[in-house]
Amino acid sequence: MLAALAHPLEGFPLTAEGGSLPYSSEAPTGPNTRPWILRHVQRPDATQAIVKPAAVYDEQAQMSISIYDGPLPYMATHSPTVPDGNVKNPPPLDEGAKD
Amino acid sequence: MGNILVIAARDDWPTDRVVKVLADRGAEVFRMDAAEFPQQLTLAGRIDARRGWTGGLTNAHRAVDLADIQAAYYRRPTAFQLPKGMSEPERRFAAAQARAGLGGIITALDCRWVSDPAAMSRAEYKPLQLATARQCGLAVPPTLITNSPDAVRAFAGDIAGPIICKPVASPVLIEDDELKVAYTRRITEDDLADLRGIDTTAHLFQAWIEKAYEVRLTVAGDRLLAAEIHSTTSAGQTDWRSDYQSLSYRVTDTPPVIGDAVRRLMRRLNLRFGALDFIVSPDGQWTFLEVNPCGEWDWIQHRTGLPIAEAIADELQGVPA
Repeated sequence: MLAALAHPLEGFPLTAEGGSLPYSSEAPTGPNTRPWILRHVQRPDATQAIVKPAAVYDEQAQMSISIYDGPLPYMATHSPTVPDGNVKNPPPLDEGAKD
Repeated sequence: MGNILVIAARDDWPTDRVVKVLADRGAEVFRMDAAEFPQQLTLAGRIDARRGWTGGLTNAHRAVDLADIQAAYYRRPTAFQLPKGMSEPERRFAAAQARAGLGGIITALDCRWVSDPAAMSRAEYKPLQLATARQCGLAVPPTLITNSPDAVRAFAGDIAGPIICKPVASPVLIEDDELKVAYTRRITEDDLADLRGIDTTAHLFQAWIEKAYEVRLTVAGDRLLAAEIHSTTSAGQTDWRSDYQSLSYRVTDTPPVIGDAVRRLMRRLNLRFGALDFIVSPDGQWTFLEVNPCGEWDWIQHRTGLPIAEAIADELQGVPA
């Protein structure tokens, strides 16, 4: 009899604890152990970075609002997938939540 | 009118846009993130012989009965925030219980999903996307996924023109205190001369498809919202994600034969939302690259005026296309 092998992680995908990208100071390894595709990995162009306006989550409105006067935050920025190379502000993954 | 459950990170601003559209239409919305459970979100679900799952999801500001949820929008929730002071074994145990308990009840909701979380997980697999797209009548690039250098050389020899390499999964990593991205790369002869590292994991190679431009096709239910993406730079033409400043956008129509195939694909993958990427060749042929079940869309709406948030809200509210 075949058993179902679906893992519960797949049924309710969440961004991993600590964010979608774990921070690391580890340096790249050599060509025999480093995935080949990473040879040409790039730092996203910081000049194309989009600075997000300061915002807080409003429990009543169920959305973020600006700390200062101005439009709602969602109206003030439209970040595509990889806005900058800031490790403190990792970009959303176009592929969605990953475990 | 039933409630609409929105499951997303609090700082996911594109979701704000959907919530705003729903609120302006008078819809009852209950927004939550998995991170609110168990400390800011209370679950009390019951099921018995008479009724399916009932009972409440409650936070400090509002409550919703599970039985009243007509639709759910699932977009990138974050990990459970468990009480401080737990040991690591306790945290792992508690997180698994939370996922099976809260996640289990939510995924059991008999409602309209945009999209079903399990379907989204499954559809993340590019190999599955390509196989399903092909079966649904979409053209796909000749593709190799391998950890064999010999297979790479053979594939390069079989393809008449250039080939590219791109990640099978997430393109982003942080190492050496830096964030880095593996963009699509056109492979050179020099690249093929040293394939050490191919055998360390799965690598994806595809035939390079000559392109006039690319199309980001955002699908919400039966609504197809297509935007041409044009780039003026070599980097942007190889992978438009690598050079956003070089891009320009134009609303376009989806050819009916492509639209029909995309709808078949979405049904097969059980997705009600997707952000699909196509190459359009100089002679107008559309080639499917991938579908992102949780893809970005806000900047496309901003740059083109395509009413994507409204289309997602329509789908959640059951508005016919």
